[in-house]
Amino acid sequence: MNKRIDIHHITRVEGHGNIVVDAKNGKVVDVEWQVPEAPRFFESMLRGRSWQDVQTIVSRVCGICSISHSLTALKGIEAAMGIEVSSQTKKIRLLTHYSELLQSHVLHIGYLVAPDLLGVKSVIPLVDTHLDTVKTVIKLHRIANQWSELLAGRTTHPVTLQPGGFSKLPSSSDLQQLRVTLQNLLPDLKIVAELLLSLAEKIPEFVRETEYIALVNPGYYTFYDGQIGSTDTASTPVADFESIVNEYVVSQSTAKWARHARDSYAVGALARYNLNGEFLTPAAADLAHSFGLKDHCYNPYWNSIAQLIECIHIVESALEIVEELLIDGIREEVPKVQPRSGQGVGCLEAPRGILFHQYTFDERGICEHANLCIPTNQNHGNIQKDLEQLVPQIIDLSEEEIRLRMEMLVRAYDPCISCSTHYLDITFI
Amino acid sequence: MAHMMICSLGNPLMGDEGIGCHILSALESLSLMPHPSNTIKLQDLGTSGVHILHAIANQEKVILIDCAYMDEPPGTIRRFTPEDVESRKQNAHLSLHEGDLFRTLSISKMLGEYPEEVIIFGIQPQDVSPCTGLSPTLTANLHLYLALVLSEIMPTLAPRT
Repeated sequence: MNKRIDIHHITRVEGHGNIVVDAKNGKVVDVEWQVPEAPRFFESMLRGRSWQDVQTIVSRVCGICSISHSLTALKGIEAAMGIEVSSQTKKIRLLTHYSELLQSHVLHIGYLVAPDLLGVKSVIPLVDTHLDTVKTVIKLHRIANQWSELLAGRTTHPVTLQPGGFSKLPSSSDLQQLRVTLQNLLPDLKIVAELLLSLAEKIPEFVRETEYIALVNPGYYTFYDGQIGSTDTASTPVADFESIVNEYVVSQSTAKWARHARDSYAVGALARYNLNGEFLTPAAADLAHSFGLKDHCYNPYWNSIAQLIECIHIVESALEIVEELLIDGIREEVPKVQPRSGQGVGCLEAPRGILFHQYTFDERGICEHANLCIPTNQNHGNIQKDLEQLVPQIIDLSEEEIRLRMEMLVRAYDPCISCSTHYLDITFI
Repeated sequence: MAHMMICSLGNPLMGDEGIGCHILSALESLSLMPHPSNTIKLQDLGTSGVHILHAIANQEKVILIDCAYMDEPPGTIRRFTPEDVESRKQNAHLSLHEGDLFRTLSISKMLGEYPEEVIIFGIQPQDVSPCTGLSPTLTANLHLYLALVLSEIMPTLAPRT
């Protein structure tokens, strides 16, 4: 029997992606993950622009992880111009980064993944059946937004982040209020965790060992500093990121793909968990234990659970930073930057995985070259390889179930396809 | 005592789709002075459904300004409430990139945080395509749109001295 399933525009992901599956006589002949999104040309737009404009421009790469792009740009600019930032700046930047990680993870888990586990098409029917949970998710998302606004000046597309520091710093009373808000977040996160724990058996069983890549910094579950870690090889300095990503072009995608020690690798929350899980905060580690997660998890569907675990870690870690900042007191610092020529790489863990920006500036600080390597690009090859193994295993299931499993797999990666160059479109022949 | 929020919706990089932003900018340039017992907040909500939900939660009166296909001649402005209309959008909420304002408003109602009053000004576009700036028709009518929105908030403003 021949099958052709066409999922045109996978739903509940950011952007457009298609899957084409050809099966003849019950055997899968071809599976193709396609990305037809139009290229964005951000790297070209940056050429000729001042070092002062770069973080503002790149924030527009993404409406969800704009803070990640801004921070990575700042790190790249500062590396190129030899700028050292203060410990206070690093702490407030990490605190700002945490707010976006929480925003993004809550949005993905609550609005995009929960409907799959509860057997509905979108979050909207859940307002009728799970009103309290929806209210909790919206409250968490709202508070994370306000947290971003407090530190970055806006919920999305930050305005306070500058090369060398901040244009506006939070006051001690801002931080005291943030401390109370963060303390109140933990019980709400536990409500979401209990719901997902009760639904854990609905997460499909599928295992494919692959290479996982994330920032590593011994002793820390790092999102900001460190070297590039791999489950297959030794760590690599951030400046050498091109030896890790090895971008290449495929005919089925307008986005570049990446590979390192194997045919493909994965980045994101599960990669971070697999490389840094031993450094989770106590409550986050307890939650991982409750889900039965071991040191390494090779089921990509569990990426969303790793995101949930990270939410707890983020809030607990943020509370520690707030405490430190309150003890030390906020010092007014005016960023002083003298532009100079140079080349630098910025790197951090964006919500969807490790993010690299590389810049070259001339002596006036005008950008001569930019190279942005975003997490979803790095995951495309791995999504393809997962589908190649998954589809033959489930080809005898109903067409509806095959579609759901494939869509859930892509959604688990939380792809932001628009950034990488936008949904899912499947064809079974 | 009145607390008002005027919000623009839309994308100014898509021509007339950004009419709300253009009207909001014009309102901002007027430096509106509400009577001391009143407040007026202006906010551009862009194109994100979720942000609309957060922004309007538990507000008193919300005025939304957006480009709207209403089967009217290009440039027409209409004032209506969400109860007056039915959405024809078929593909909204399949991703976070395309929301339906009316579904977002109904979620706000179900969550128990719907504003006391919601008024919408819809403007029929002439040209929605990738460009900055408005079409000649909407540009010519901008003062009319501004006057109509101002008439909505006029009772809350303080006299200039």
